[in-house]
Amino acid sequence: MRDIAEVLEALKAEPYTEKEVCAPHSGVITFTDIAEGAKVHGFTGMWKEIPGTHIATITREKNPRKVLANERGVMQKVYRELDGTFVESGTPLGVIRHYLTRQEVVSRLLKESLYAFCAPERAKYYFTPDIDTKVKMLGCRTVTIHDGMELFIVSRMKREVPLCYSGPTGIIYDVYFDQQKNVDAGAPLIVVCPPDQQSAVEDVVARVQSEWVEGE
Amino acid sequence: MNRKHKVLIANRGEIAVRIMQACKKLGLEFVSVYTAEDVSSGHVALARELGGEKSLYRISSYHDANELLCIADEAGATAVHPGYGFFAEDFRFARRVTERERSLVFIGPSWRVIRDLGDKINTKRLARSIGVPTVPGSDRPIYDELEAEKVARTLFEYQLQQGIARPLVLVKASAGGGGMGIEEVYDIDTFRQVYRRIRNYAMRQFKDEGVLIEQRVTDFNHLEVQVLSDRSGRNPVHFGTRNCSIQSTGRQKRLEVAPGFDPSSIEYGFDAAAVLDEITQHSLNMARKVGYDSVGTWEWIVTRDGHPFLMEVNTRIQVENGVSAAISRVKGQEVDLIAEQIRTGLGDALGYTQDDITFHGVGVEYRIIAEDPDSGFAPWVGDIDRFQWEERDWCRLHTHVPSASPEKPYTIPTEFDPNLALGIIWGRDLAEVSANGLDFLEHLVLEGHNGKGEPLKSNVEFLKKKTERMLRF
Repeated sequence: MRDIAEVLEALKAEPYTEKEVCAPHSGVITFTDIAEGAKVHGFTGMWKEIPGTHIATITREKNPRKVLANERGVMQKVYRELDGTFVESGTPLGVIRHYLTRQEVVSRLLKESLYAFCAPERAKYYFTPDIDTKVKMLGCRTVTIHDGMELFIVSRMKREVPLCYSGPTGIIYDVYFDQQKNVDAGAPLIVVCPPDQQSAVEDVVARVQSEWVEGE
Repeated sequence: MNRKHKVLIANRGEIAVRIMQACKKLGLEFVSVYTAEDVSSGHVALARELGGEKSLYRISSYHDANELLCIADEAGATAVHPGYGFFAEDFRFARRVTERERSLVFIGPSWRVIRDLGDKINTKRLARSIGVPTVPGSDRPIYDELEAEKVARTLFEYQLQQGIARPLVLVKASAGGGGMGIEEVYDIDTFRQVYRRIRNYAMRQFKDEGVLIEQRVTDFNHLEVQVLSDRSGRNPVHFGTRNCSIQSTGRQKRLEVAPGFDPSSIEYGFDAAAVLDEITQHSLNMARKVGYDSVGTWEWIVTRDGHPFLMEVNTRIQVENGVSAAISRVKGQEVDLIAEQIRTGLGDALGYTQDDITFHGVGVEYRIIAEDPDSGFAPWVGDIDRFQWEERDWCRLHTHVPSASPEKPYTIPTEFDPNLALGIIWGRDLAEVSANGLDFLEHLVLEGHNGKGEPLKSNVEFLKKKTERMLRF
């Protein structure tokens, strides 16, 4: 576990990330009138029900699909020369500079400071059905886990095997995986907060809330 | 055949390589696709070599029909070859390909045939209607736990009445295939537990909770009949039988032998030649009945006492097509079933009858896979540093693994099965093919390592062991 102050200083030195907006699939691309330097926002709302800024439309098989900003930030680049052309999946369409929010900073700090249970191999991960239901219905912080508990189903190459949690007893403080996507070996799946670290976690959250200034 | 056709190869790996080679043989243009994970696959390199950059498109997923058809339009493709897996047995995809505004030829059975035979349950009903023997059990997907338990209970009782000392029931995901989503139940008291596990698995993997409950027939051989018919659907022919009984613990085929039985060198407790003839005739009858119009495989189980039961029909070209081709000659010439599928799929008449097809010798196909047979055939993931084999007259190796070296290894993508190659061996008789097979495996060089530096694990030793007991119960 790294020193929280050190991590926080590193984040302050570069308080943003730059992410490419890529074509989600092949198709003909048509940009909106979005300009470089324009402010964009990602999905918002309690359920992420409000779509992000419309950057372009990609059409395949007469099915237009909006390419939306997936982060809040500023359009650093727009590759407008691709307008009206057929692009392959994964072709970069622009770059968004995203300034970290307080919540993201907290999440990053917790990943560094709490016990992270990591993926032992590159695979898709699911919670076991009973845990999954609880996480979906009540939120991950209502789930207490302990060493040896069957917590995940690992799905790789059509094979599914159970994976037991190993680590300290505590609540699942945050979840870092998407059931639809492969997780690389060594990437954190969850962070676990033991009861004796609850106060430390609250301190981190309070510190970020007071010290962190959100960008654009 | 109209040689102006351009074929979109909607698949990856070994089958994509084979389709490209078949297109080249037939003088057809093709267009190939790949995803980010497959960027260093041999099928991408071969597409570049044979068709140039314009024949290659990067896509987000092999499962995205919209994207594939968009590529077909952009590249000017006129036909789609689905290979095996992905869209090969998806009748909705086949229907859409052929019925869209800019229609394309689907190189596979017509969508109605896929719909009727692609579903295990429909197949079972159809087979029963024309007197083809099928495995006792439900003939529709079951979604209700109580009903499922009732069927299972009936099957246990039926087996006890038949004098089976240790009755077993299989619970299968109705929408599954390729041996996935199947579990045995030994004790009716544990049925519900297994049923729920399969139902959850089926929901996660196939988005359909339906399950099939049937008797688990033990002590059997898994046989297949390779069928081919042209678009008329009236004159199906067969390219013999295959025995696919040697499988991994997950019911995945590992070694296939053609023909399915060898009564000339093995003594069976039944008339093996008559059984082969019976399943072949049943398969052709069913193909005629539905107007089957492409390549397909009728899958059978044959019990130790020689009773055949139809399991399912695979309405696609199968991985093991090469071993049937290895023992078959059409008018004395070698045959490539993928090229035949493309040729007839694009409208050519078959041009020969069953009498023109002759069978010679015995063939075996080895599926060379990065996996650990000692740990339940767990897939192995890592880098391949060396993959070499000896070229022989009696051996063909189909692979998508590019030439690799410790300096430039090939990383096995985790998104797909770690199938590396198919080794097809031929011999004049069973003894010769076994000797050739062992020779091939002995000289195969397959080396690599994973992220922890551990050496590559493969099923080569498993295949060697099994070679000695091919075609035996």
